[in-house]
Amino acid sequence: MVLGLLIGGAALAYGQEVPAPQVDFPYTGNRTAVWVVANLHILFAAFILGAPIFAVVAEWLGYKNNDPKYDRLAKEVIKVTVILYSMTALTGGLFLFVLLGTYPDFSTWLIQHFFLVFAVIYPLLFILETIILYTYFYSWDSMKGRLKGRHIALGILLNIVGTVTLFVIDGPTAFMNTPAKAAEGVSLVEFVSNAGLWDKMANYSWMPLNLHRLVGNVTFGGFIAGLIAAYMFMRSKTDEERSYYDWMGFVGNMIGVGALLLLPFMGYLLAYELCDYDASICPYMMADQLSMFFEMQGAMIGLIFLASNYYIWLSLKRIEGVDQIRMSGYVALSVLFMPAIMGMAWKMFPPPEWQSLIFLAATVLVPVMLGKIPGLKNFTVSAFTMIKIGFLMIVVADAIWMTPHGFVATQGLATHEVELPEWAQELALMPAKNAAAFTLVFLTIVNYIMYNRAIKRGTIIWGKIDFASQFVLIFLAFSAIWTMGLMGTVRSLTRKYFHVYNLVPDFTPEAFTPTLSYSAWWITGVTIVFYAVVSFAILVTLKPASSKVEAH
Amino acid sequence: MANQSFTKSVLKKTIIGIIIGGILVVAAQQTHFPPIFQIMFFIYAMLGSLVFILLDAPPMKRLEGVKALGALLVFYVLLSGLYIAGASILPQFDPADEAGKIEKILKIRKARSEQGKADELIARAKVLDERAKAITAQLSSLGAGAQVEVASTSGAKAPASGDIIAKGKEQWELQECYNCHKLFGSGGKKRGPVLDNIGSLMTPEALREKILNPKSWMAEGFDKQYEKGKMPDKYRDLMFEEEINALVAFLSTLKDTSVETPKPIKMN
Repeated sequence: MVLGLLIGGAALAYGQEVPAPQVDFPYTGNRTAVWVVANLHILFAAFILGAPIFAVVAEWLGYKNNDPKYDRLAKEVIKVTVILYSMTALTGGLFLFVLLGTYPDFSTWLIQHFFLVFAVIYPLLFILETIILYTYFYSWDSMKGRLKGRHIALGILLNIVGTVTLFVIDGPTAFMNTPAKAAEGVSLVEFVSNAGLWDKMANYSWMPLNLHRLVGNVTFGGFIAGLIAAYMFMRSKTDEERSYYDWMGFVGNMIGVGALLLLPFMGYLLAYELCDYDASICPYMMADQLSMFFEMQGAMIGLIFLASNYYIWLSLKRIEGVDQIRMSGYVALSVLFMPAIMGMAWKMFPPPEWQSLIFLAATVLVPVMLGKIPGLKNFTVSAFTMIKIGFLMIVVADAIWMTPHGFVATQGLATHEVELPEWAQELALMPAKNAAAFTLVFLTIVNYIMYNRAIKRGTIIWGKIDFASQFVLIFLAFSAIWTMGLMGTVRSLTRKYFHVYNLVPDFTPEAFTPTLSYSAWWITGVTIVFYAVVSFAILVTLKPASSKVEAH
Repeated sequence: MANQSFTKSVLKKTIIGIIIGGILVVAAQQTHFPPIFQIMFFIYAMLGSLVFILLDAPPMKRLEGVKALGALLVFYVLLSGLYIAGASILPQFDPADEAGKIEKILKIRKARSEQGKADELIARAKVLDERAKAITAQLSSLGAGAQVEVASTSGAKAPASGDIIAKGKEQWELQECYNCHKLFGSGGKKRGPVLDNIGSLMTPEALREKILNPKSWMAEGFDKQYEKGKMPDKYRDLMFEEEINALVAFLSTLKDTSVETPKPIKMN
């Protein structure tokens, strides 16, 4: 009898299963909670991956040119990176817990599909990166002189491991957007069930995402270096310090903008691959639910280009002898007509057709050649006139970028009252947008060429830059981070109501496209939190000190 | 002096901005741009003005200590406010529209998924039932009369029947076919052919074949789109049999010969 009761009790206990309580994030809801934590984690991760690229390049320049300023710059950036490294790990852990708690079934599904990545490769890479980063930082002073080359090699190794880590973790992320495309006649479910790890990693959007994030991280690193410089410039007590941080801001901005020039094309490549994977993603992004997100992106890109060129303007103003610098008037004319010429070229020969490159080369090279022909080369404009024409065209190019087919949240609601007239519809199409992006990039390159000439021929007075320039540097970092948040949101939302596009539906009631306004609140919130932490790290890590470095 | 000169510059450039903005608005009116675009052009003119005002602004005085900190905080608040306001002023997509649509799409999938879970529960209950029977038998052999009851599990409800053509039209909306195909004069952006007369040009079997295998047919004049595989080949994975049947039934009714519909060509 007792035995019977025992067996019965055991059977009852076996039959009962205490269910896990449902997790519901207060106020934000589960999806927004995951979004916020993921966004925050990605910002820190981008910093610790972008800053070392920036630092090792600076260290190498210092070594090559025997200029200790670069070495100091590199070390200061790495010092902040080391502090923020723990934040990356912390937010990464937080992200994992929040994701597992709120979406347990899907999280388990994803981890099981990429088990080797999540359980072995990624942790090993992270540990390796940690070891190299700390060795790189703590050996800075002991590996001077003849050991400097080895120290730079260590920095390069750090970046290689960092980049591999980025590529590895991008695999599951990209897989969620574009899971392996099934072969003809095989269903996607069947294909993914039988696919190996590599098939799932090397999906449609993996490499475009890798390149986009890599270039984005360099931009990010440059702008954050600019932010560090701006803060330290404001805190500096001596002309010597101001001189150094003015120079640091200049270098940070130059690298940030240099990488920024590639970003529109990297973004285009990623969008192209997403559309190629599934043509219905394109209208969702450009014409429907996300169209106004891209409108906002246009505004942000325009502001970033305006600000970076304004920084050049302020920098030029403190160069003695800049009045003597002149630029071929044909370049100015080319800039004025560039949106129209390239818009037409890309309409006739849309990428990837090569014929448009002839127009591109002609627009860029003909003005330069005309400027060298005797009798014609006297047509020149001053540096300031050229930059003013540039600003005018930045506004024009951004206006083209931001002109939508219709001022509506989705084309389904479009009426004649909010749509472009029939004759002007070209303004809303990709050739016009590409031409606008190219004009922005070309203008910025022209301004930098002119700036470079001014530095070589004139005398730059470091430390005497307009104080407003420091706010421009801060603006650039803030806006770049905000735009990263916006575009990250867009990439995630292109999965629509799926966790993994077309494969794993999200059955929760939150599986819809949030409004742009709602998204903007959260993106701003995340940007502010990130900014506050980075600002704190800069202020506690770096102290202005009298430097023996001669800024010249 | 410098301040006076800057004030003059601000005034001058603002007036120039207003004049250029005005010219743009009139030009836009004459060329049939709707008012919203006219406002946008005016804003760009004023943005240009602001840029040129900034270019000639006198150098900013150096800020230190609390003043610098205060200026930074104000700057961050302004930036945050500007970006939130900028994003909020643009037209907002109403999530409620999409939520209803998604609910319709996912309902059947969720039901099937729950059916799958129910099947799993039934299987587990059967195992438990056998175990309970074994224990009961064991208890009986010991002289006890214990009974173990296993709760019965009901299957999922069968899908409700309805007008198949109306359901097909609903599928047209839910699968967002209108994004690429123009129908009844709306939708489509030249990515796919107009379909108003497709029911006269293709049999239901051919329509089904095209949906399940987009490479099987090509619309005349859409060679580039065909080669690039613009029509997604995902519907065989995403749609259930009855959804495809409904969509095919709806498309078969489209026989408006007055609308020029590209001729379908059998490919493979």
